[in-house]
Amino acid sequence: MKKRGRGVACGWYGIARTAAMDRAAVWVELDDGGTVKIATGVTEIGEGILTGLCQIAAHEMGVRPDDIVLADNDTARVPEAAHAGATRMTYMIGNAVAVACKEAMTKFKRAMADYWGVDPISIYAVNRRVWVENSPVMKMSMTEATHVLKKEKGIVIVGSGLFTSAHTALDPDNGEATPWQSYVFGAQIAEVEVDLDTGETQVLGVWAAHDVGRVVNPQQVEGQIEGGIVMGLGHALMEEYTQNAGQVGTPGFAKYILPTALDIPNMYSVLITEPDPKTPLGVKGIGEPCITPTAPAIINAIYDAVGVRITSLPATPEKVLAGIIEKKKQNSKKVNKEKSEVLA
Amino acid sequence: MLTYDQYVVAKSLNHVFDILDANPASRIIAGATDLLPWARYGRAGDVHLSSVIDVSRVADLTYIKSDSKKIYLGANTTIADFQNNPQLRTHAPVLAQCAVWFADDQIREQATVAGNVVNASPAGDSQPALLSLNTAIKLIRREQGKIIERTVPLQEFILGPGKTLLEPKELVLGFECDSALGFGSAYEKVGHRRSLVISTVCLAVVAKVNPAKNIVEDIRIGIGAVGPVPKRLHKLEKRLIAEPITSQLIHEIAEAGSEDVQSRSRQEYRREVLVNFIERAIISALNEAGLPLVRFGEERLCA
Amino acid sequence: MPDFKSNPQKEIGEHPFVEVTATVNGKKVTRRVPNHFRLIDFVREELHLTGNKEGCGAGECGTCSMFVDGALIKSCLMPVQKVINANIETVDDLDRDSGRTIVQQAFHKCGSSQCGYCIPGMVMAATSLLRKMSNPDREQIKEGLGGNICRCTGYQKIIDAVELARDVMNKKVPASALEENLIEPVMGARTPRLDAPGKVTGAAKYAADMEMPNMLHMHVLRSPHPYAKIISIDTSAAKATPGVEVIITSADVPGVDNFGVFIEDQPIMAREYVRYVGEAVAAIAADTLDIAIAASKLIKVHYEVLEGIFDPQLAMKDGAPQLHSFAKNNITKHTKIRKGDVEEGFKQADLIVEEVYQTAKIEHAYLEPEAGLAYVEADGCVTVHSPSQNITHHRHALAKILGRPINKVRMIMSTVGGGFGGKEDMIYQGMLALAAIKSRRPVRYVFTREESFIASAKRHPFSIQYKMGLKKNGKIVATKMVMISDGGAYAMSTPGVMNKSAILGPGPYQLDNVWVDAIGVYTNNTPSGAMRAFGAFQSEFATESHLDLCAEKLKMDPIQLRMVNLMRDGATTHTRQKIDRVLAVDCLEALVKVAGWDEGIPNRHGGGPATRKDISQGKERKPCTLGTHLTDREKV
Repeated sequence: MKKRGRGVACGWYGIARTAAMDRAAVWVELDDGGTVKIATGVTEIGEGILTGLCQIAAHEMGVRPDDIVLADNDTARVPEAAHAGATRMTYMIGNAVAVACKEAMTKFKRAMADYWGVDPISIYAVNRRVWVENSPVMKMSMTEATHVLKKEKGIVIVGSGLFTSAHTALDPDNGEATPWQSYVFGAQIAEVEVDLDTGETQVLGVWAAHDVGRVVNPQQVEGQIEGGIVMGLGHALMEEYTQNAGQVGTPGFAKYILPTALDIPNMYSVLITEPDPKTPLGVKGIGEPCITPTAPAIINAIYDAVGVRITSLPATPEKVLAGIIEKKKQNSKKVNKEKSEVLA
Repeated sequence: MLTYDQYVVAKSLNHVFDILDANPASRIIAGATDLLPWARYGRAGDVHLSSVIDVSRVADLTYIKSDSKKIYLGANTTIADFQNNPQLRTHAPVLAQCAVWFADDQIREQATVAGNVVNASPAGDSQPALLSLNTAIKLIRREQGKIIERTVPLQEFILGPGKTLLEPKELVLGFECDSALGFGSAYEKVGHRRSLVISTVCLAVVAKVNPAKNIVEDIRIGIGAVGPVPKRLHKLEKRLIAEPITSQLIHEIAEAGSEDVQSRSRQEYRREVLVNFIERAIISALNEAGLPLVRFGEERLCA
Repeated sequence: MPDFKSNPQKEIGEHPFVEVTATVNGKKVTRRVPNHFRLIDFVREELHLTGNKEGCGAGECGTCSMFVDGALIKSCLMPVQKVINANIETVDDLDRDSGRTIVQQAFHKCGSSQCGYCIPGMVMAATSLLRKMSNPDREQIKEGLGGNICRCTGYQKIIDAVELARDVMNKKVPASALEENLIEPVMGARTPRLDAPGKVTGAAKYAADMEMPNMLHMHVLRSPHPYAKIISIDTSAAKATPGVEVIITSADVPGVDNFGVFIEDQPIMAREYVRYVGEAVAAIAADTLDIAIAASKLIKVHYEVLEGIFDPQLAMKDGAPQLHSFAKNNITKHTKIRKGDVEEGFKQADLIVEEVYQTAKIEHAYLEPEAGLAYVEADGCVTVHSPSQNITHHRHALAKILGRPINKVRMIMSTVGGGFGGKEDMIYQGMLALAAIKSRRPVRYVFTREESFIASAKRHPFSIQYKMGLKKNGKIVATKMVMISDGGAYAMSTPGVMNKSAILGPGPYQLDNVWVDAIGVYTNNTPSGAMRAFGAFQSEFATESHLDLCAEKLKMDPIQLRMVNLMRDGATTHTRQKIDRVLAVDCLEALVKVAGWDEGIPNRHGGGPATRKDISQGKERKPCTLGTHLTDREKV
């Protein structure tokens, strides 16, 4: 027999380095062919930062995402952008890229304005083209513009940018601090089915709402949420690294159990996209916030389904079934007690 | 890591025996899907073998045949064959039901039934299904140039974890199983997730019924992962055939199954699940065989 | 006469050879390789086709999946002798005619690739499925992917991609559905990932795929003991092995040998003591990996085994072995949050609920095991190319450890096959750099999966004593959390994790009275370090579970209980920070709108036939029953 239940959990998370000043710096160049070169301390670890940064840069520089070339993250070649973690990539480096590109574009527009003899405010650059507002002739491709500026004016358009997030350290006695500038709030609901014969829990649906700020690429935000949910599911139901007197009992994937494609729920992402007021781009982050509500939502759903509260993760079939049996025993004790009270 | 002095892909049975004669300690492998993961840190560690004989290309070991009463599986029959081979789908659908729980698509292509049986892991997935088909294993050896065969019931062949009756210089020719044409069947397994998972409890049931008389004519229950060897539940089977079948009877008889759990770890869990699996799988197999029964307890819910 | 050729090893680390002729991606090849090679070694190391990966070597992850004679198999489980005269298809040239197959294009379009490490194997599994079944449904697709693990994506977009590929192949949707159309405006657009083409074709190079001429292969000897004093290390026999270029131990480290994100307590190889099973003791760089592994077995380490300490509660007691001289009672970090007066709060409570929660030690399980390539450049700068998540910090640490100016140390971050915080600590780059300097040759080191498990950081397990006081109307009047965590043998990110777990632990709720202790403790277990959500996963798990417990006792709906307490605009956090704009309620309301929620007390329908009205609305998946593709066969 199977029983279904639902559980909810809220969550929150601070963005970027905890209780310490965070920083990221970027160099940008408008390069031959109207392409853009960006140098900053970033390499793709899977979250989609490469594409996100190219979208931001393309938007600022008036070109397309695949016109952007990102330098390798190399301590000898690019400025520092600190580490890949703490849900800080889009927030710190995205903003720094925007700042650097804005500086470059300011120079570019001034140079083009000079070239055309107009006010910089009338220059527009979008989708590989640059033009003067309301002019039928003063327009060209970004490719031509780069070439013209270099050849005729000897100008190479470069920019740099810095983004700092001001955080303060914790008071050692009471923890008072401004550990982050920005927070991401969220909530998730999980629907589960528990098999009373085996104690197995299948997670059938997870809905997730997160306050992610301005979204650069919704497909990537969903991807992070979906990945976070499934990782949270693994933590909730099956993952445990064991050691006995220091010897590892789970040194590989046969014993350390990860979710497979057959274990995943249908997942629905609800993005609350109010821009963050504290940064130029209004972006926040999602990599870590999406993983905190999942496990408690699932554990609460199991309780809702079968009245068994698992307080020690993971909620393996063994633990759930033991709880179901214990509950049956207690219920029959209660019934017997009630019966004997009636008889008495 | 697994290393060897020599690894030979045998061309024929005689080739296999030639190598065995020269090097009796040779390890025989088919799919290698158990051996390679075993020779790693956390299990056996680095393993060096002097001689390995790969029998996967020996034609005499690669066959699937059937007649009205029996199916004959060569040693090299893969777990994928359990799902894909039309003869097996007809005569022994319990093998396909077992196969979907066995590792994953890729490993099923490589893993062989002989390999799974000789490896004799207590958690082996195929053994309960094979036991439910009254499987016997055919073993061959060569003496003075002649190949000699002996047949052993599968239940007797497996002695304990990693231990079988296989003698040195002996190899598995194949398996002989009763056809389950006209039977209903079911396979149950539980682990910690739904794919590529080690069994905590596994079980197979095949059953033949006489719906008019409301009796079970034949029923065979094979269990695995709850003791050092897979087993048939002969006592329960006899009780199920003895009288007209009801879901209450099945429920009561299933309770007796908990005695058959010999594992020392997670014993409570295994007892509970085994009893539930026995009941669930019998109902499912009987339904498939033509006897519609609803599980005891769920009946009362409806009423 | 039998074919038996007795070919015992002549030199240490040398193996007999086997000649293999096979057709690989349409080309006939003949090579001589060590006879213990598996198909994955043949393809990657001999043929330099690095698209398919070795994520685990034990047939569990699927990254090595390739076709042999038309059947998809796991090549880490296939001795190379089995493919003699066989037809092999790897991911590297799946797209021989068109550049990218329909499956690969669909993966790109749907955003299925994140770190990309599992993707070649997933592409192969999807390709295999669609070759066998022309019209699989979503459940059948999942079963076809059941042998492939992904840690980044949660699988949903991978399954979406297989559905799209199926529909294009069946002409249910036009091929234009695969095109990457320019989407405007570009901010907020579902731009397909720019790195996806390299990942779906296997062209993207990760550290283990990189090679340099004259490269050495590194193997590391690791401690079998959780706690021991190193009395002596004798590397003489190993050093004398032909093909061994260099062996290093802690004694060879020239600079100040301590690194750590917060507390610099960890040497690059064990110095005087080993403090956990798997700690690096010696590193061997040799011409082949086989020689390095064989030579490592000749290193004699004399240990004096000591009584280890494994329970953090016991480790904190007086008299427990002190694992680091500077950490009294083995406490790595104790973070305190104190706001208001919890005792006063409890006095005001109508209900007090106490419970203890535990979370497990967790493995990051990125599909890419750690790897790196180090070399010294012509100008003397030592370069380490590895999937490090923090090269800035690692360069600082390495410069000190190697005793070099910081601009003579160069760290390059390779494409990371999953990190989740597990690649933030500098657990192997020091050995690589030092070996490269001493040998003056490039050195590559690739972890086995087991090494990755035992040697790298884990998520901190937490034991949380929770006490919450509430009013009848659900308002929380006091929250007390006492959290103890096994930090393992070295600090790694323990101080930061304790901080974050404490700051965020009591949840997004407006609380006047908060008391949190987060205590990280040294033990002889695998070090605990940074992992996605960094302590907040554990502490918020306790809070959100506890709220449900309280909801039931108050006979309140759990969402209602949260609404009473959630922060609003202008809230003051537990660290006394004012947050102007708080979208917590907006998230919860939006969530309920989309998911639906039937109000009531948790488990009100347990035991009886009553059901929630919000369950089984069709938006959830069907429970998994295996064997969905059995029905797609011909009826026999």
